[in-house]
Amino acid sequence: MATTTASLTITSSDLVGDALSLSASNTLHKAGTTTGLEQATGLTKTYLTAVTPIDLFGTILPSGSTGNVSTYEGKSHWIYISNKSEDETEYATITIGDKVIGRLYAGDFMWMPWDQATDALDGTTKHADIELAPSVATGMWFEHCMIHEGMKLPTSV
Amino acid sequence: MATTTNTLLLESTDLLSDSLSVSAIATLTGAGNSTGLTLTGGLGRKKLTSGHAQYVLFDGDAYANGAHKIYLKNTSSTAAEYFTIEINSEQMGKLYAGDWCFFPWEANASTNDIKIDPSANDMVLEYMLLSE
Repeated sequence: MATTTASLTITSSDLVGDALSLSASNTLHKAGTTTGLEQATGLTKTYLTAVTPIDLFGTILPSGSTGNVSTYEGKSHWIYISNKSEDETEYATITIGDKVIGRLYAGDFMWMPWDQATDALDGTTKHADIELAPSVATGMWFEHCMIHEGMKLPTSV
Repeated sequence: MATTTNTLLLESTDLLSDSLSVSAIATLTGAGNSTGLTLTGGLGRKKLTSGHAQYVLFDGDAYANGAHKIYLKNTSSTAAEYFTIEINSEQMGKLYAGDWCFFPWEANASTNDIKIDPSANDMVLEYMLLSE
């Protein structure tokens, strides 16, 4: 069992009248257990030169063995995405199942759970993917990884 | 203009054969500019019962589009207890005991609400919205 921790600090001396110093830390576990996550995609750096949305973590896959439930639906997956651009006007739109979560502007990062639930747009056999769309086609760098409990890989053709 | 800094650190010595140590630091600024975010609802906590399915934590109607950021934490210490997080009726994921998340939020539509659903009675969610 691996031990992986994710820590966050948010600090500001002038956002509010009292200094803000928030800290949160957790160990990444399999869903509903205290067993550590053991799988990861590895930290990846990607250079995108089109504004076309891409599936950064795409698991729109046929149904599993039990109806439309994905083999890994409800499992624990953690997503890290960082926009490495240094141009403050450049951003990436992050969506899940075509629903916009938000924009990552230059230097921004996100850390979110993803349980591969059935896509509300489809509702049958597809499961919400994580998409990223750069705001410019002149080239943007992104860093991303997933630490997870399991994922279905495409069958070779 | 306020200066708010957030830092993420992912660490493991045994997930991979090489130690994992990923750090990211960001200063929270407005959409497409370098002006620091100036608004926040403050750090809050809310106790929820399971009857609060589809509880709207942040209403897309209440905010203009912008570079908003959301922090959520499940304060439970019971491993099986979780909050389900939804955006615009699309399930994002589940925050189990002790888990936290931090993500951008674009209130780009009146339907782009952030909704939460506790798995058990009397669970406490910690939350904060930083907004433009």
